[in-house]
Amino acid sequence: MTRWAMVADLRRCVGCQTCTAACKHANATPPGVQWRRVLDMEVGEYPNVNRVFVPVGCMHCADPPCMHVCPSTATRKRADGIVTIDYDLCIGCAYCAVACPYQARYKTDRATFAYGDQPMANEAAKFDPGRLGVATKCTFCHERIDAGLAKGLTPGVDPEATPACVNSCIAQALHFGDADDPASNVSQLLAENQFFRMHEELGTEPGFYYLWDRKEANP
Amino acid sequence: MSAPERVGKPEVRKLATYCYQCVAGPDLLQVKVVDGVATEVEPNFGACDIHPGGGKVCVKAYGLVQKLYNPNRVRSPMKRTNPKKGRDEDPGFVPISWDEAFETIANRLLAIREKGLTDESGYPRVAASFGGGGTPQSYMGSFPAFLSAWGPVDMGFGSGQGVKCTHSEHLYGEFWHRAFTVSPDTPLAEYVISCGANTEASGGVVGVWRHSEARIRGMKRVQVEPHLSITGACSAEWVPIKPKTDPAFLYALIHVMLHENPRSRLDAPFLRQHTSSPYLVGPNGFYLRDAATRKPLLWDEARGAAVPYDTPGIEPALEGRFTADSIEIGADDEVVAQGRLEGETAFTKLLAHMKPYSPEWAQSICDVPAATMRRIANTYLDHAHIGESIEIDGKTLPFRPVAVALGKTVNNGWGGFECCWARTMLAALVGALEVPGGTLGTTVRLNKPLSERHASVKPGPDGFMAYPLNPTDKAHWSPKPNIRNAYRSLVPLAADTPWSQALGPTHFSWMFLGETPPGLPRVTYPELWFVYRTNPAISFWDTATVAERMSNFPFVVAMAYTRDETNHFADILLPDQMDLESLQLIRVGGSKYVEQFWKHEGYALRQPVVAPRVDAKDFTDIATELARRTGLLARYNDAINRGVAGVKLKTELWDFALAPERAYTRDEIWDAVCRAASAELTDGKESQGLGWWKEHGLRTKPFPQSDWYLFPTLAGKGLRFELPYQERLWRVGKQLERRMHEHGIKWWDRQLAEYQALPAWKEFPKLWEEEIARVGGRAEAFPFWLLTSRSMQYAWGGNVGMQIIREVADNVAGHGGVIINAGRAEEMGIAAGDIVELSTPRAVVRARAVPRQGIRPDTLLLIAQFDHWVTPFAKDFGVPSLNRLVPMSMDLTDATGSGSDLVRVQVTRAAA
Repeated sequence: MTRWAMVADLRRCVGCQTCTAACKHANATPPGVQWRRVLDMEVGEYPNVNRVFVPVGCMHCADPPCMHVCPSTATRKRADGIVTIDYDLCIGCAYCAVACPYQARYKTDRATFAYGDQPMANEAAKFDPGRLGVATKCTFCHERIDAGLAKGLTPGVDPEATPACVNSCIAQALHFGDADDPASNVSQLLAENQFFRMHEELGTEPGFYYLWDRKEANP
Repeated sequence: MSAPERVGKPEVRKLATYCYQCVAGPDLLQVKVVDGVATEVEPNFGACDIHPGGGKVCVKAYGLVQKLYNPNRVRSPMKRTNPKKGRDEDPGFVPISWDEAFETIANRLLAIREKGLTDESGYPRVAASFGGGGTPQSYMGSFPAFLSAWGPVDMGFGSGQGVKCTHSEHLYGEFWHRAFTVSPDTPLAEYVISCGANTEASGGVVGVWRHSEARIRGMKRVQVEPHLSITGACSAEWVPIKPKTDPAFLYALIHVMLHENPRSRLDAPFLRQHTSSPYLVGPNGFYLRDAATRKPLLWDEARGAAVPYDTPGIEPALEGRFTADSIEIGADDEVVAQGRLEGETAFTKLLAHMKPYSPEWAQSICDVPAATMRRIANTYLDHAHIGESIEIDGKTLPFRPVAVALGKTVNNGWGGFECCWARTMLAALVGALEVPGGTLGTTVRLNKPLSERHASVKPGPDGFMAYPLNPTDKAHWSPKPNIRNAYRSLVPLAADTPWSQALGPTHFSWMFLGETPPGLPRVTYPELWFVYRTNPAISFWDTATVAERMSNFPFVVAMAYTRDETNHFADILLPDQMDLESLQLIRVGGSKYVEQFWKHEGYALRQPVVAPRVDAKDFTDIATELARRTGLLARYNDAINRGVAGVKLKTELWDFALAPERAYTRDEIWDAVCRAASAELTDGKESQGLGWWKEHGLRTKPFPQSDWYLFPTLAGKGLRFELPYQERLWRVGKQLERRMHEHGIKWWDRQLAEYQALPAWKEFPKLWEEEIARVGGRAEAFPFWLLTSRSMQYAWGGNVGMQIIREVADNVAGHGGVIINAGRAEEMGIAAGDIVELSTPRAVVRARAVPRQGIRPDTLLLIAQFDHWVTPFAKDFGVPSLNRLVPMSMDLTDATGSGSDLVRVQVTRAAA
């Protein structure tokens, strides 16, 4: 089986938001909609404080709460772990946005553009009215993955088959690959490093892992 | 709206180009163009093997598509119809034709040539300002050739230079180790002490990439700064130091290394053979010199005698006092002592000088525990690998993987000299200067050739590198400056290259328009001012004063992307084609700004990815037309032939020279430049033109890693680093003081005191308290230090009008207001989002409070520089800028002509 997964190395991330911007380019999301973004968090109190940058978005959970609450079956999970939304089925009820523990879903009811009511040429070229009034979120750029696989490329290795946020990362903090393949890049990273998944206690089994330190050589 | 109708498969093209919106560029990218519309920016993965950041692209480049289609662009040439200029005056811009615009400008220029290129005060009648640390040069096409053809131009009206740059580093760094910019050798470093160097925000893709790799490898960085920056967040340790006390911190580290560790922990052979440490210093503070040759003496332990420094086969004594028949030469070549003189080595003087600066002394100044400083100094020594070597490119080089980095505000303004000296000494003490793993200079701008650091290493006096100091001797110093900021008269270290004008006290150009200090010719307004990719009415000190001075400029020509706060005062707006519409070939790789040292070098092309969206012209075509209409074509083409556009068009190996009197098109000019670049990269064998470069985007050849390191070149030429003792600069300072006093100039005396052979700690924070008193306030009433910090999303970019940039930048704390310590805010009853007033005795701004834990209780932070009042989109941000509050002040100007980017303020909760 294949389980597509994202890995964010918190030791590397600098919070530059290049992934946020690249996602907006690749997916043509309207102003304020960020399928990928990076949180700027503080832990502790002055002077004993740490600042950490945490990339977030849809976690593509193995047991996604958003899917369970979806009354129209618009939200589904593919066999490869990617959680999808069928815009034709979505009725825009936003139950999913409420149910998602990761605040990863957006709903835009009317067309909005960077500068006022009129789209710029680039916005007009990629405008999709099908995204109005429905839930949207990170897709893991599955069109790239699927098209890349069809060409015999390896997602997470070949840029053409890899999510735009991963391609753009200037710190090599974001990685993508098949967590079910022990030889994959992400499996190697998970084998070599200590990691966590966000809100693990909720049992959603996210497909998004956070590395925070190297594993001890001899635990 | 509905989805666009599409018939058939869309035509998708990906075009290679570059982004050089910040000094840490260029980034090599591809733009995806679908059916003639640019839709996406992507990394250029084809460049991943030659670009040290994997061919990736910084977040700023993702604003370029919006920049292209921004509806707020200036859409055609415009002229001002309201003769009154002022912030509150509507310029009344109306569209005009390009022909009218050119005619108007050319007539002004021709009238100036008729009168003479300089005015009654001797200043150029034409001025030009460019921003962004030299980045506009990667966008202005052949305009430098027009300026070259024109003659004297005043390029000293600052827009951030000196206060927003790492100014002391530029000057002293270049003096000591050809280091206009300084970087750790990040790919090899193990331990880095960073005093405020915000590399993760300002080091570009390569800086971020390399430091990320280094962290995983195990490199530890200690970030010493009043607020927990992006870089601090990515560091192993944060030391929240009190603002402007970094010299004390660094001095304490040196003290620990010199006085609490055995000499074996230092690199004594390096100090003996490759620095001035063994030079004997006489009773008057000048080197003891051989009376016949006038060469400095050192004590040869083999002979038991004082000998000239370059005597073969000597064993120099590092420490001790010795007596020798000798002379001392002071200012103006005067022999101040002669005979049997006693001297001590420069290293011995250093030991005594640093003795008082213990960690216990520094802790109350810096608000950093002595134990912390002691631990950091000792850890630095632990990682210095004294005596070890590494093989690179088949050469065996010293391996010293420790470095010190300095950031803006630390290495400019008062205290900058001390910090730069201490940083370079920390490297020298363990032999980590310009060697693998250590502290490196990465580019030169004041020594020639600009493209090659190693070739700039030439023998100078006393066994050190030559440096083109501006003259201070009686025969050559002049009180009549060539430009308004008087850099040649005031700042010997600024040298006199094309970059020097912008590296003098560039605020003086603005200040002296109000009142010229005694002894200088009256500072006049330039009759014509070109402005390109810079907005000093926002980006400089004391922006209200700058804008007020601007309103008196008689004729301003602004290359205008959108309306902004500086072109608000313009007479003519010229829309030049923006980044993705225009064309230029630039040199890439080798060793350049910040962390941009590559293993390749070559050229990259910026090319139009779509047709121009507005009635704009490529800057090259603008320059050519100005040259044609002012009768300067022959000189303009000659300048291009000489290489002013980046490559010499004619050498012994190739000849693509332009004919003198012909007005060439943009593509003709750059085709010739491309052919010359192809020839240069292949030793004349190939000559691919513009078509090839459009298809491929870039071409490089290997650049040896061993050329990152200057030490082997110095050693090979038998030259020493001019450290620790600054005899040459001390003498220069004495001479400058004499010259100025001979001409009745006393207003530079405070700055002259900076010329010291061994810099002492001064109460630097007090200078800002005194400034409060000078303008009528009580220091205790203004208890906060207001700082600023670069934003990776905005820095240098001129991209404040890009919606996408604002949207993503807002994810980073502080972009929407002023960061204040959360505990202190709570004590003051200030909650997140509350409006607070930040005030000095002279100015006040309002900001939303952003309480955070990662900042000292006595410090505030305003990120980037906003406060726009004209620029579309940005004028609605409602976020202030430190620049409105920082005064342009002679008292806060150091000897290099720079100031620090901070100010003392009071904070009050604004009435609802």
